[in-house]
Amino acid sequence: MTRNTQPEPCTPETATFELNGDVISHWVSPATTLLDILRDAGRIISARAGCRIGRCGACTVLLNGQAVPGCLVMAWQLSDCRVETVEGLTEDPDFIRVKEALATESALQCGYCTPGIAVSLVSGLRQHRCGEAVDLEEAVAGNLCRCTGYGGLKRAVDALKETSSET
Amino acid sequence: MSAPISELNFVSARRAVRVLRPDSPSQAVSLARQCRASYTAGGTWLQPAYERDQCWPENLVALNASWPGFWGLEDGSNGLTVGAMTSLAEMARHPLVRDYLPPLAKFLNLVAGPGVRALGTVGGNLIVGGDLSALAMALDVRVDVVGHAGVRTLPLSQWLRERTSEDLLRGFTIPDCRGWRMSLEKLGYRERFSPTRATLACVHDGYRLRLAVCGEGGLLRLAATEAFLNGWAALAPDDFGAVLDCELVDHGWQDTHVRMALRRMTTGLLSEVALGT
Amino acid sequence: MELKAQPGMAGTGVLQRIGGRLGYATDQQHIPGLLHGAILRSRYAHARLLRVDTTRARSMPGVRAVVTAQDVPGVNRFGIVVRDQPVLCENRVRYEGDAIAAVAADSPEQARAALEVIDVDYAPLPVVADADTAEQMSPLHGESNLVARDTFTRGDSEAAFARCAVIVEHHYQTPRQMHAFMETEGGVAIPDNNGGVVFRVGCQSGHRDAEQLADILGLKSTQVTVEATPTGGAFGGKDEMTIQPVAGILALQTGLPVLVHLDRFESCRAGIKRHPVSVVMTTGCDSQGRILAHRVDALLDTGAYASLGPAVLENFLDHATAPLYRIEAYSVSGRLVYTNNGVSGAFRGFGGNQATFAVESQLDALAEKLTMCPLEFRRINLRTADEPGSRGQPVRWTAPPTDVLAAAAASPLWVPAGAAARRRWLTGTGMAMGAQGNGLGDGLPDSGGGRVSLTAEGRILLEFGFADYGQNLAEAITCLVCEGLGCTASDIDVVLGDSRGPDSGPTSASRSSVLVHGVLANTLPRWKDLVRGQAASLTNLPPEELDCGPGGLFHNSRQILSYQELAEKGQLAPMVVDASQAFPVAPDQDQPVGRYLQLQIATVARVAVDRLTGRVRVTDLHHITAAGRVIYPPGYLGQIEGAAIMGLGMTLTEDMPTREGRYLADNLDQYMIPTIHDAPDQRVDVLDNTPKTDSFPVRGIGELGIEAVAPAICSAIEAATSIRVQRLPVDPGYLLSALCAQEKKRS
Repeated sequence: MTRNTQPEPCTPETATFELNGDVISHWVSPATTLLDILRDAGRIISARAGCRIGRCGACTVLLNGQAVPGCLVMAWQLSDCRVETVEGLTEDPDFIRVKEALATESALQCGYCTPGIAVSLVSGLRQHRCGEAVDLEEAVAGNLCRCTGYGGLKRAVDALKETSSET
Repeated sequence: MSAPISELNFVSARRAVRVLRPDSPSQAVSLARQCRASYTAGGTWLQPAYERDQCWPENLVALNASWPGFWGLEDGSNGLTVGAMTSLAEMARHPLVRDYLPPLAKFLNLVAGPGVRALGTVGGNLIVGGDLSALAMALDVRVDVVGHAGVRTLPLSQWLRERTSEDLLRGFTIPDCRGWRMSLEKLGYRERFSPTRATLACVHDGYRLRLAVCGEGGLLRLAATEAFLNGWAALAPDDFGAVLDCELVDHGWQDTHVRMALRRMTTGLLSEVALGT
Repeated sequence: MELKAQPGMAGTGVLQRIGGRLGYATDQQHIPGLLHGAILRSRYAHARLLRVDTTRARSMPGVRAVVTAQDVPGVNRFGIVVRDQPVLCENRVRYEGDAIAAVAADSPEQARAALEVIDVDYAPLPVVADADTAEQMSPLHGESNLVARDTFTRGDSEAAFARCAVIVEHHYQTPRQMHAFMETEGGVAIPDNNGGVVFRVGCQSGHRDAEQLADILGLKSTQVTVEATPTGGAFGGKDEMTIQPVAGILALQTGLPVLVHLDRFESCRAGIKRHPVSVVMTTGCDSQGRILAHRVDALLDTGAYASLGPAVLENFLDHATAPLYRIEAYSVSGRLVYTNNGVSGAFRGFGGNQATFAVESQLDALAEKLTMCPLEFRRINLRTADEPGSRGQPVRWTAPPTDVLAAAAASPLWVPAGAAARRRWLTGTGMAMGAQGNGLGDGLPDSGGGRVSLTAEGRILLEFGFADYGQNLAEAITCLVCEGLGCTASDIDVVLGDSRGPDSGPTSASRSSVLVHGVLANTLPRWKDLVRGQAASLTNLPPEELDCGPGGLFHNSRQILSYQELAEKGQLAPMVVDASQAFPVAPDQDQPVGRYLQLQIATVARVAVDRLTGRVRVTDLHHITAAGRVIYPPGYLGQIEGAAIMGLGMTLTEDMPTREGRYLADNLDQYMIPTIHDAPDQRVDVLDNTPKTDSFPVRGIGELGIEAVAPAICSAIEAATSIRVQRLPVDPGYLLSALCAQEKKRS
């Protein structure tokens, strides 16, 4: 097996997609991750590289409404896609509910993993409103947190479930 | 799948990776041959491997879910056909999966986290011997493969033995298993998504029992154990333990404790599919 | 009294954190002119460095600087206790994460590409792979691989053993746990215009780091500034310096800001870990269950560099003397050795929880031999609150240990789970107790300061040198200030972690809350008087009739001056109060031994063990804490819950094993930390009898939650299965073999 350690960069192409309501275009090589594009051209800081292998949830963003790890999505997959991060969800009613529940129940300490958690919960609430059977705790099953022991997060999820069943 | 490791060229940076976007499956196969490229669909298994080694294939061939037959579920006279690019999340939600494969939706929660399930494909999972491959083996799934000579359909077990580097998995068909009793269990490291130590699938089709395992020791249809159980159904299920252990050891399952666990998990699953109660 | 969850304090950045509007140390990628740094690490666990050739790297696209050992401007060594770790290795590498060279380039990819073409020639050396045999192998430093050894004794343990009716001896092992903070090591070094450097990096002790960095960079201490930077978790893993030295050197060389951010693979490889411990404990009691004798022989593997190893050893041994229990005679010894197995250092619990695991397990073993209830066995041996501590030192508890035990005995978790669960899952409940002392202990210099002032905008500003890595310290400070002044949270700004501000000492050893409380008790009344005095002269009212309140100064329950008005019209300079205090130690101690301020926890655990696979699930945890006053309830609850889950991880799934000095796991898909589904429901009770007038009503609870979790879980496993585990993390295969053996015996 040979590994070329000084390869020529692949010709960049334009990745054009909608980010938080704005269309952005960026010249990148096609295998660049969505996470890197967001943090670079997108000026996003809420999606973070916790592991780079899609196993921690810190880079969770909404892709066409679904919560996905941004580090596993590549630039070539982004045309005509819609990406949302917490920076763009400030007016979103589901995010407002999530934010309030997380803050009230002290579901964060350092808060580094929290935007990813918030995105997962927003995705869960949206699915619930579309009539899908959703377990909100399952929605955050892929978001690792090291500070809180998940106590506050479980309480926030319970609070969201209660208010969900009321609507 | 893709070219064997020795044939691919690798590069040490993502930005050097070329992503080829063929218009059709046959073009994909040609490109894979010519450029000695690796296929990519969800990328949820391969990308971690590339990141770990800081080593990417020079060329990737992007698969397209809109190619006919590559995505979605359809049932017909042959059974349930599943497009390889269907995501794990889509499988979990699909009403046909509730009918054909009742335990699957819940089981998928153990296979990967929700974000990875949204991106990862069933085809990708089968190809790397992931958790779904045990069930697929036990169900005698038949795969539709696009090769340089066109499309062919063959049993999964045969394809896994014979596949060439440019074979492209289009989809697979599960026989009409509605009404069959099936049970799945994964032995991992914690409550949710973790590497598989062993995943066991146990299926009773009304006539006979089918058993398969995947994980640390590889993918294996437990033919000898099945034969024992199917031929000697009158005996208490516990007696199959020695046969199972031998079969596992013969096929490279080295860890004693995992084999011990598998014996007991099998007993558990057997009683669930009603050989016991 | 159960600590119920209460609404969290708004403000102090919580909403910004959720909304992605707060930048952490590694979110600074848009600083103008920023370069990206990358570090070349050793390929071998142990080797001589023969040649490091950076010629090709220097001419790579985008590269602005390439540095090796000879480019370190000052001292090429760092380390909190022993400065034995090179910033960049000179002629020897001692673990796979050892730094050899570093590159600054325009992009991270260019920096990494340059690393690939640095030519290094190594001559591999024999790897010191086992702590057991390390002392017989060639020393990694100085004369020997023995870094430290210590023994604490009381009485004649051999004679006491001779009188024991029952003796138990077991070998316990605890894992090399990884902090796994969600934000990996990283941050920015920014050169200023005066030859100095400003650091915005995730760390735990800005002042201490600034001192070391000045020495490394060959600068005056006034030229190095560490600025407060929100950090995504630390838990001890950012106590030592991580990337600061390299980033600083690259920043000085290039004259540009440099960001270094270790990805998770590199963090796993190069970052410090918890000390794995191998300890043999021998404990004996009389026929009535009174513990007479206790012998401990421990070995801690500190890896390639000492880091805080010596302090961890001391704390381990301290906890191994069983602080909660009366033991007639003991001999507690431990050794700390160098190996090529990574580097071990500070980690929440700091040696204490490893010792408590073994001690509590020994108590259970003795109780079992006597067929005595483990709770009763503890009750017989628990110290009273008036007795001195286990090292003969004066100690100060906040509740009698027997009360804590009684509360644990009353836990609802002792009621067996429903019968339906029993077919596949064997359930059981167990408990353990733990104690912890606050502060650095043993007479080490341990002090800290803080400052209160009024800003030009009328904000009441509190400054402490502690780092903010998510431990809700700002909220606790806010609560104490509101209580002390009568103002509201919205009047207050808290700044933590700036090296230009007050030096509060390291943010570790659960010392922050105690120091904060002490400093505020000192400063707030004085500040209040200064403020009232100024308000009095501005309003012509007698100062004694004025009081601080929400938004401003009050007279007869009416606000007469807002804090903004006071700032505009008054004189700001005098309205500053600084105070510093020594961490509380026992009075009248010439040679302080151990720690004075003590806290306790009892953890009751319920587990379910899968009969089929040996896997363990913890279904409930109930903690009874006696840790003084609760300042900020959500913070208190969060610290206990968070620490407990870290302990659960250490008990069930977490380990970083090595083979020939190479870690066998390198990311979070191989190193398993608990997910939300692995975390049980937890209940935290607070037991506090401290009178209001007590001089030390507060304890630091950052580490307490991890103290008794491991032995509680193992005790519960034993209750469920009759199998006792002495090696962590619990191996399901081990449990399964034992279960199978039991079944065979029965049939």
